[in-house]
Amino acid sequence: MKSRTFPGNYKSLETISEFIIQEAQYFEFSPAEVYAIQTAVDEACANIIDHAYGGENLGQIEIQVQKLKEGIKIILHDNGVSFDPDDIPAPDITSPLEIREEGGLGIFFMQKLMDEVIFNFSQSGTNTLTMLKYRGD
Amino acid sequence: MEFIIKQLKHCALVEINGRIDSYTSPRIDETIKSLIADGYCNLVIDLKKVTFISSSGILVLVNAQKKCIRNSMGQIVISSIPELVYSSFKLAGFDQLFEFYDDATTAVGSF
Repeated sequence: MKSRTFPGNYKSLETISEFIIQEAQYFEFSPAEVYAIQTAVDEACANIIDHAYGGENLGQIEIQVQKLKEGIKIILHDNGVSFDPDDIPAPDITSPLEIREEGGLGIFFMQKLMDEVIFNFSQSGTNTLTMLKYRGD
Repeated sequence: MEFIIKQLKHCALVEINGRIDSYTSPRIDETIKSLIADGYCNLVIDLKKVTFISSSGILVLVNAQKKCIRNSMGQIVISSIPELVYSSFKLAGFDQLFEFYDDATTAVGSF
């Protein structure tokens, strides 16, 4: 298992992507699968900065990458405010442009692009997001 | 992320290079808003050299498109979009909201 910790700011997103791309390629994912994982992790980290920390440089993001027999498990930890992902309505991607609500696209991407997305908010103040992606979906 | 702006006769061409994420999308937002304020309501956004786009980047383009369409000022079209970047537009359901062209020259010629 590899683990790295990044400052909770938008500038970290590129470094985080590079880390994820390197790990995903090592796990023999296709370019489309690597891009999907990269997108899901980027959206997750942006959500942590925006919603858990409520701004930049207010905490860190720890990312663990585990190799599974059939794919990859990515675990993100932060110490920000917990939130209920069920409170965030999924975007209606079929509604007309003029009336379409814009929120929730990040979580929508994560759930569409990964095979499992599990939020866990502990009373100790650590939020954990676990995402799994299997090869060859 | 870097970009080059070319102010042409019938539109402006914005060539973006690199990642469009929460760190870089505010700069693109400012640039597009500035061009619209200068009267360039027909915009070609060339994504040939874009390696990644997040939902925040897509929403910058969507919001600018909304403004242009709402005010009947013009429209934003997209050229040279890499397949993986296009997949994010499609996943979000925004692939129907833009005209996509194979290259910048054809996109500029559409205005």
